[in-house]
Amino acid sequence: MAHDLGFWTLQALNALQLSMLLFLLSIGLTVIFGLMHFVNLAHGSLYALGAYFAASLAAVGGYWMGLFLAPVAVAGVGILLYSGLIKRMRKSGPMAQVLVTFGLIFVLLDLTRIFWGDLALAIEVPALLDGRLAFLGVEYPTYRVFIIALGLAIFGALAFVLGRTQIGAMIRAGVDNDAMAACLGINVERLFFIVFCVGCALAGLAGAVAAPLLSVTPDMGLQILIPTLIVIVIGGLGSLKGAIAGSLIYGFVQTFGAVLAPQLASVLIYALLAAVLVIKPVGLFPAKG
Amino acid sequence: MFRHNTLRYVALILLAAGALFQAFTAEYFGLEILTEILILAMLVLALDIVAGFGGMVSLCHGALMGGGAYAYAIFTTKAGIAPPVAMAGAIALTGAAAWVIGAIGSRSHGIYFIMATLAFGQMAYSYVFETPIFGGDDGLGGISRLDLSFIGVDLNDSRSFALFCLAVLGTVYGTSVVILRSGLGRSLTGVMHNEQRMRALGLTVWRVKADVFGLSGMIAGLAGALAAQHIMYISPGLLSWTVSGEALVVVILGGLGTLVGPLIGAAAFVVLKHELSSVTTYWHLVVGVILIAVVMSRANGIFGWIEARWGDRLDRRLADATRKTEEVLTDA
Repeated sequence: MAHDLGFWTLQALNALQLSMLLFLLSIGLTVIFGLMHFVNLAHGSLYALGAYFAASLAAVGGYWMGLFLAPVAVAGVGILLYSGLIKRMRKSGPMAQVLVTFGLIFVLLDLTRIFWGDLALAIEVPALLDGRLAFLGVEYPTYRVFIIALGLAIFGALAFVLGRTQIGAMIRAGVDNDAMAACLGINVERLFFIVFCVGCALAGLAGAVAAPLLSVTPDMGLQILIPTLIVIVIGGLGSLKGAIAGSLIYGFVQTFGAVLAPQLASVLIYALLAAVLVIKPVGLFPAKG
Repeated sequence: MFRHNTLRYVALILLAAGALFQAFTAEYFGLEILTEILILAMLVLALDIVAGFGGMVSLCHGALMGGGAYAYAIFTTKAGIAPPVAMAGAIALTGAAAWVIGAIGSRSHGIYFIMATLAFGQMAYSYVFETPIFGGDDGLGGISRLDLSFIGVDLNDSRSFALFCLAVLGTVYGTSVVILRSGLGRSLTGVMHNEQRMRALGLTVWRVKADVFGLSGMIAGLAGALAAQHIMYISPGLLSWTVSGEALVVVILGGLGTLVGPLIGAAAFVVLKHELSSVTTYWHLVVGVILIAVVMSRANGIFGWIEARWGDRLDRRLADATRKTEEVLTDA
């Protein structure tokens, strides 16, 4: 190959950065599904909302305020959605949930258009993260390194909380068998609520983090939705392991596919998804055996 | 199994009368909308067969329709095949593709089936979008309509084309009813209600699912071939998953598993879309709110709601009336 090692390092970093962004989105969606059996197609719209909140807040109080407050604001929207809609949809079948959240996509899409207009917004990368880092013989934008680090940090934190703490054990019990968990005195309903809020906040965080990289447009939620769904279906619904594995697979297949076989790149990931569904219909690492 | 009750007959007659009235009185714009409704109606019939009677909620029917449209366009413009043959080819192609999707997806249920169909739909979308022969983002133009001049019909006239689509829709509706009443359709409903039991009875479940999905795909492909002829220009947007999502919305708004309901849903959706988009650019907001309200209300769409309220009463009243007449006749 004509490309040197640095080129491949660069591509690997790109893939890793895409994976981490998808991980932030998919972990919320997958745990919400695993715990609540709830399919939230509007998760992508929450990501778009996060980007818009971050853009608005950054205009007032700088980038860091946007980054920290946008997830809180999105979690607030999540609380509204939960008490208004999702609580009532819990017992419905998957189709009703898909449809209600599909309607929610329409509503949130037009609401962002009404509040923020159709034009793309942009956020400046903060001075601290501007510039490039010399890294394994390549120069790489500091901001992207920051995304990778943030994703890994969140993964580590979630792995610790889910695997080593009491609330994590309660969540895992709820995913495994919610009726039994409730019998053992766990307030599953409150657990659902907490997990839903955290999932929304992570979606908002993903939006806030992605905002300086991509331009903030109303349809960014729709664009990210399909990759996120692919990630959780490949990985298997409900598990942290599945979310990280799915994200890495998607990130690397997409990035390296685009370099090695540009013609096939976009079809490749769907073919992979189809293959996974044929061989293991519930994904690679489902939460339940 | 699918049955026609009195209410369904009444609704069908009203719909057909409305369509005919519109076809003969409307001007150009009204005819375009009518044709749009008729083509959407075919797509949602296809979707209602698999979703309403087989529990297979598909998010790839938009892509199947788009596939039919592209197949027809490529066959006629690039390969120079005569339109009737091209149409048959497009239908066969989408039917075969849908059969394969149905066969592969037959092991998945619920949300996994939805995701699997979504994946296949997006695969087709990306393929069409990326491959140069399909014109990429620019789409394909210069698509010709069927030539029916040998029976004295010029399909380039919008009125004739609308009537032609109405006739096709009638045929599709009749075919759907035949499919659902056949052994295959009954097996499908059995699989939806209890797959284990049907398997225990010796049914090859995946074959039933794949066969019906294939037939449904043929209808979607037919709708696509007609859509390509209607607009005479196609773009990858036809295959986008949001088209499938909208088709599902129409089925739900109309009434899942009623066949008649989705027809009403198609008419309501297209009219609503045109009326709203002339008033506000935020018509998606209104559609979204209506959709959420309909699903939350737990009624089975517009027609399901009407049926639950008046359907039985109407049938009972008719039965009462016939019994009374019979009593009167026997007394006399």
